[in-house]
Amino acid sequence: MKQTILTLLFIFCSLALSAQGLQVKGVVTSADDGQLLPGVSISVKGTTTGSLTDAIGAYTINAPANSTLVFSFVGMKTQEILVKSSTTLNVVMQSSTAMMEEVVVVGYGVQKKSVVTGAISSVKATDLMDMATPRIEDALKGRTSGVTIASSSGVPGADATVNIRGITSINSASPLYVVDGVPVIGGIDYLNQGDIESIEVLKDAASAAIYGTQAAAGVILITTKKGTAGALKVNYNGYVGTQAPEHKLNLLNATEYATIRNEALVAAGSPMLFSNPSSLGVGTDWQGVIFNNNAMIQNHEISFSGGNDKSTYYASVAYFDQEGIVATDISKYQRTTVRLNSAHKVTKWLNFGNNVSYSHIKVKQGFSANDYFGGVLASAVNMDPVTPLITADLNPATEPYASHLTSIVRDANGYPYAISSYVGQEMTNPAAYIKTQEGNNSWSDNLVGNMYLEVQPIKGLQLRSSIGTKLAFWGDDSFSPIYFLSNTNSNLTQNSYNRSLNRTFTWTFTNTVSYTRSFDKHNFTILLGTEARDQGNTFGTGASIHGIPATTFYNASMNYNVPATQTSGWGYENQPYTLSSIFARLNYDYQGKYMLTGIVRRDGSSHFGSNNVYGYFPSVSAGWVVSQEGFWKTNDYINYLKLRLGYGVNGNDNLSPFLYTSTIGSIGGYTIGNTNYTGYGPTAPANPSLKWEQTSQLNFGVDAKLFKNFTAAIEVFQKTTTGMLMQVVIPEYVGASAQPWGNIASMWDRGLELELGVNYKIGDLTINFKGNSSITKNQITDIGSNDHLVNATMQSSAYEVSRKVVGQPVNEFYGFKYLGVFQTQAEIDAYVDKDGNKIQPTAKPGDYKWLDVDGDGSITSSDRTWLGNPNPTFTYGFTLNLAYKGFDLVAFGQGVSGNKIFNELRRLDIPGANYMNSALGRWTGPGTSNTYARIVEGDPSNNFSVPSQFYLQDGSYFRLKTLQIGYTLPMSLMDKVNFSKARIYVSVNNLFTLTKYEGYDPEIGGGQSIYGIDRGVYPQARSFMAGIDFTF
Amino acid sequence: MKIKFILYSTLFTGLLLTGTSCSKSFLEVSPTGEVLESNYYQTPDQVFSAMVAVYNCTEAEAGYGINWYANKLGPLNAAADECYAGGGSSSDMMAYQVWNNYTMTSANAISSKFWAMDYAGINRANILISKLGTPVTGLADADRDRYIAECKTLRAYFYFELVRLFKNIPLTTVPIATSDMYNIVQAVPDSVYAQIERDLNAAIPVLPSTVATTEYGRLTKGSAMALLGKAILYENNTARMADAASWLNKVNTSGVYHLLANYKDIFDPGNKFNAESIWEISHSGTSQAWWGPSDFRGNVYCTMIGPRSYSAVGTPDADHIYYSGWSFNPIIKAFATKIHNDPRYKYTVADLDSLVAIGQATYSGSAGYMNTGLFIQKYAALLKWKCVTGQAELNWPNDVIEIRLADTYLMEAEALVRGSGDLVRAKALLDAVRARVGLPSVPVTLDNIYNERMLELATEGHRWFDLVRTGKAASVLAFKGFVAGKNEILPIPLEELNNTKLIQNPNY
Repeated sequence: MKQTILTLLFIFCSLALSAQGLQVKGVVTSADDGQLLPGVSISVKGTTTGSLTDAIGAYTINAPANSTLVFSFVGMKTQEILVKSSTTLNVVMQSSTAMMEEVVVVGYGVQKKSVVTGAISSVKATDLMDMATPRIEDALKGRTSGVTIASSSGVPGADATVNIRGITSINSASPLYVVDGVPVIGGIDYLNQGDIESIEVLKDAASAAIYGTQAAAGVILITTKKGTAGALKVNYNGYVGTQAPEHKLNLLNATEYATIRNEALVAAGSPMLFSNPSSLGVGTDWQGVIFNNNAMIQNHEISFSGGNDKSTYYASVAYFDQEGIVATDISKYQRTTVRLNSAHKVTKWLNFGNNVSYSHIKVKQGFSANDYFGGVLASAVNMDPVTPLITADLNPATEPYASHLTSIVRDANGYPYAISSYVGQEMTNPAAYIKTQEGNNSWSDNLVGNMYLEVQPIKGLQLRSSIGTKLAFWGDDSFSPIYFLSNTNSNLTQNSYNRSLNRTFTWTFTNTVSYTRSFDKHNFTILLGTEARDQGNTFGTGASIHGIPATTFYNASMNYNVPATQTSGWGYENQPYTLSSIFARLNYDYQGKYMLTGIVRRDGSSHFGSNNVYGYFPSVSAGWVVSQEGFWKTNDYINYLKLRLGYGVNGNDNLSPFLYTSTIGSIGGYTIGNTNYTGYGPTAPANPSLKWEQTSQLNFGVDAKLFKNFTAAIEVFQKTTTGMLMQVVIPEYVGASAQPWGNIASMWDRGLELELGVNYKIGDLTINFKGNSSITKNQITDIGSNDHLVNATMQSSAYEVSRKVVGQPVNEFYGFKYLGVFQTQAEIDAYVDKDGNKIQPTAKPGDYKWLDVDGDGSITSSDRTWLGNPNPTFTYGFTLNLAYKGFDLVAFGQGVSGNKIFNELRRLDIPGANYMNSALGRWTGPGTSNTYARIVEGDPSNNFSVPSQFYLQDGSYFRLKTLQIGYTLPMSLMDKVNFSKARIYVSVNNLFTLTKYEGYDPEIGGGQSIYGIDRGVYPQARSFMAGIDFTF
Repeated sequence: MKIKFILYSTLFTGLLLTGTSCSKSFLEVSPTGEVLESNYYQTPDQVFSAMVAVYNCTEAEAGYGINWYANKLGPLNAAADECYAGGGSSSDMMAYQVWNNYTMTSANAISSKFWAMDYAGINRANILISKLGTPVTGLADADRDRYIAECKTLRAYFYFELVRLFKNIPLTTVPIATSDMYNIVQAVPDSVYAQIERDLNAAIPVLPSTVATTEYGRLTKGSAMALLGKAILYENNTARMADAASWLNKVNTSGVYHLLANYKDIFDPGNKFNAESIWEISHSGTSQAWWGPSDFRGNVYCTMIGPRSYSAVGTPDADHIYYSGWSFNPIIKAFATKIHNDPRYKYTVADLDSLVAIGQATYSGSAGYMNTGLFIQKYAALLKWKCVTGQAELNWPNDVIEIRLADTYLMEAEALVRGSGDLVRAKALLDAVRARVGLPSVPVTLDNIYNERMLELATEGHRWFDLVRTGKAASVLAFKGFVAGKNEILPIPLEELNNTKLIQNPNY
């Protein structure tokens, strides 16, 4: 080991070190299915020399003549092979039992994949190898069937909306993340991707029932890397790259803008604003002002792992740094993570271990990622191109500059950033806005870890106790200088410096007993366990000081002494939240041919009402390996066939605390003796029967191996969620001051999923393909006595953009449809109802001809109809690995279809807001357009001010997420530096996106209320990276 | 080795069991920064706050829980022959408009506001009465009994409002359990009146005869006795007129009340809780209410009945300098003609057109829907009472007098006449009301008593009820579209019929 460390120290200064030996290379495959095996460890017996097979199962190793190579891999029989000369040695590994022994994590344990009866998708470290994605959710996107992941935006470090098998609830329901056996609340961005060994997605209720009342939306199990006994392995993996926007919007230039504005004003009877539009040229490219075509991204991680018979360890440190492509000065993400995982055998029957990680994250994000109320993106889209970036004068004598010469924002040369006189409200010069946000940041520190103790008193019996904790601190640090951006956005009185600090502490105490035994051909495992969790210990405080002698964030400080009147503070604390559970699982199989799994979990949650403190979540699933039956004839078409069927029930306890009980609030006062008293009383009647939202799911699955090289898995499911929380409309004669909450609404998701894998070898070329696709349908079946529920609303319109209604998919877009644009008055006159009355008597040529949905002869609110689904119905992804000698290529693509995007980029209440290029195709006279109505100042005919088909666009896309080409250095060179592996690669993320959508990015997640609604979403970056990955 | 196994295994199993056995208490958590209903009503201050919430529902302005404007004078005046709905247009305050022209259905808003506000009050009273069944540390028995008596009086008041407006209503005297919410049926009106009498009979011995100035606004013995007499009168049973007269007599002869010398002083915000006021619903100009959902203490009705775009010209006297309002409840010219020669006319009607004519005011008559130029004076927003802080429109301090001595005089006289009682006393009561404004004696007939009520109590919210209970509504209100056999009561609000066992009133 010392020698290796010394080697490490010298590698960069000397390549002269060398060792005499043979070079052995080859590929390792599995005897079961002929699959290439990545990650097989190869060592020279009796030495510390070792190597691993790469992503496509290939290895090279240098060994002394007549030495023995040891090939080992989990679930496989270890093989020892004597080598005498340099050679190609292809090794076939046998399963350590008769069956295929790949194991998957199933919650409170692992299970052999061959006997799994639920719907579990698995992603291994090797699949994610060298993928440059900052977040686990991003890494998982497109990897497995049934999981729809949409980043909320392209903001560095942005979270993602993860829907497993469609939307599970009308209320918030996201998957439960369990890291190394401990549920982690509050996001998993603290994890470094390089530390991840495997990710399992429990998709059906039969598998997820073991997590009971928090598992309705599915469970994602993440396992971090462990050390293996053997020599110290040091791995460095790093990349640096550059990012740029994939494309920009086609907005009007100054001449086009002025022309359309003039036309709109004249049409409304007002004078023209621009006397000579063509003299304005192209004007200011505001997108050019905010976008960075060369934003840096880099990641460096180094890990140490190894151990001996008694103890193993894995330690890593990683640093990730990404600049945003939009307003880079105020958009940046940095994360440092440290991890130490270790496991120790104290005696033959006693083990303990720990998994501990610390992360520090610092984010600068001075504007909203998808919001039309200001910020740099919305401003760049809506600002007029006529206004220049900066003024020509240092001290303009015109207003509004003249009155605010000391507070207007200036560029580096002292020239004031120009203030638009055409576009106001929240829209401001983005370059000036950036200056006011400089330095502002938020940060978090996460300390997440667990420690466990395992006792095996007798063979097959294991007692395990684990305590997991998460301690997190997070906060903000911001400075608001004196500034004047516009008449509606300024801070002219006092600057202010603000800090906040929040803390949360969660602990989980888990105890399990499991017993595994085989009688003859009967194998069973019983698991019993208890778990207690406390996740309500959250509080925060914040303070501001005003009027300090500072001009920027960087010279602001809390140390300045200001009068008490110039300070303010606030605080909060979360309500307590505890969970207490017991659970049991039985796994049984007969000869690995018939299997049965039964789970029951009883969860107690402090969120439930007193009549329902405990919820019971059972599941049962069964499997049958048809191909092992005697009647099955061995054939070349279907090599393996397993059928699975499962049913289970899960819950969602994500309800606000104390909704079940009646709390006291201010409900109206009275004046007695000239004093105004406040009256207190119960705000809403108690509903002691309030309970979890319940999701039950039926799953049928088929696993097959076909034509030796193909694997396929098909899943069909139906998921039904009932008792979704809503406020109950109770009769007013009850006299309550507010409505109580009840378990009311229900809906279902149905779907079909397909996963396909292919392995092929043609000479030296290895082809490995994995693909998946899913079709998901969703429908609301009950929303109580409500006619509909409003989801998203649209700017200043009284009409909502999307609603929830029985019989429709959740949050479907809702609005008006047009039949075309009226070309002439004759067409308006001819558009009549059955009685011959004009349907749109006040319309003018160029206005939309709206569809009279209810046929009542006029266009009213009841003529709105369904316009499309924001949630994709079809999702797919694939990974293609090609390997030829030392070269490898990975292509990973992912896409969705069946969804619509509501393009709300333009602010309707700002008449001077710029337009997309498509406005050039507006109606200007008969025959000019049948889809884009005339543009008139004030939009008197409401062509654009109501939600309509006009705003909806096809949201389908296919995106090549990653294209990577790598080269693994030949052994002859590695010998010299004592490396066991060295790979260099270049990688492109988001090389291209195929979509008809005209906004920045068709991928718009971020919660139900904004899902699929584009208000200027921060686009994903296209990044080019080069990296190296070496192990010694 | 074996021993160690057993030791560890036992320890381990012990841990498991501990984890399970203590789980129930582990799940019983208490909220922070919020009070559970089960932990409230435990100190005298908390009980007082709960009582304030019951009183809140008499004020009927707006509040956190019931967030709407629900003044009852506006629609009642619009319903009678005294006023039109008015406002800015035919759709301004639909609750007023649909009662003005008798186009109300169960779906338009008019009835639901009375309904909801009164039932909120009943529920709050029911809750507090049931909570006070358990002793409260530090609360004297006498104070507890007084709270209960106030709750019962208020509950009687709310039920009296409901039974005379809707006739067929649910009747409960305990908080309605979640499981019963949809199973309630309507009670027969007689049992509602019986409950009203029961509550008031229980409260009267307990309530104080008078209250200190710091308690102005809390109910007295006189309030409860007056309401009891009035309720019995409304039961319209000749055999019980003596009972009604007897309770009203107790009020009128209690010595606590006397008629004010000057009629105009009765409604003066500077003269609150005066000797003529028996049941007064307090308002305040100091609660600093702003637009948006907030807990109103001011009287918005004052603004509603003001002339639109009003400005004073020159120097009119302070009782005729108004705050510009929204022109609701303009007084019907025909009604003004009826009372024009009465000495109380000038204190009842704000004749803006005359003020304009003599050059003391300007206002926009055309901006007011159904404007007559005649506005309500008794609750007029006089500039001199404009609030110091807060939104002027929302913060008028004018109290609403629910029952006053002239009313109980006239009601006692009526009960005596109808019950063949002491006609000498009846005449004396009628004459007293007339003499106060300098009018001569008239014979004590029911017609004269009713005529006196019209003159004395104009625009105070009594006229419509009087017309209905005396059977005159169909003829007097025919010009507004009143339908006999239907419009004597309001429709049950439509949403109350969803999933419940309530039955709609006839002909709605």
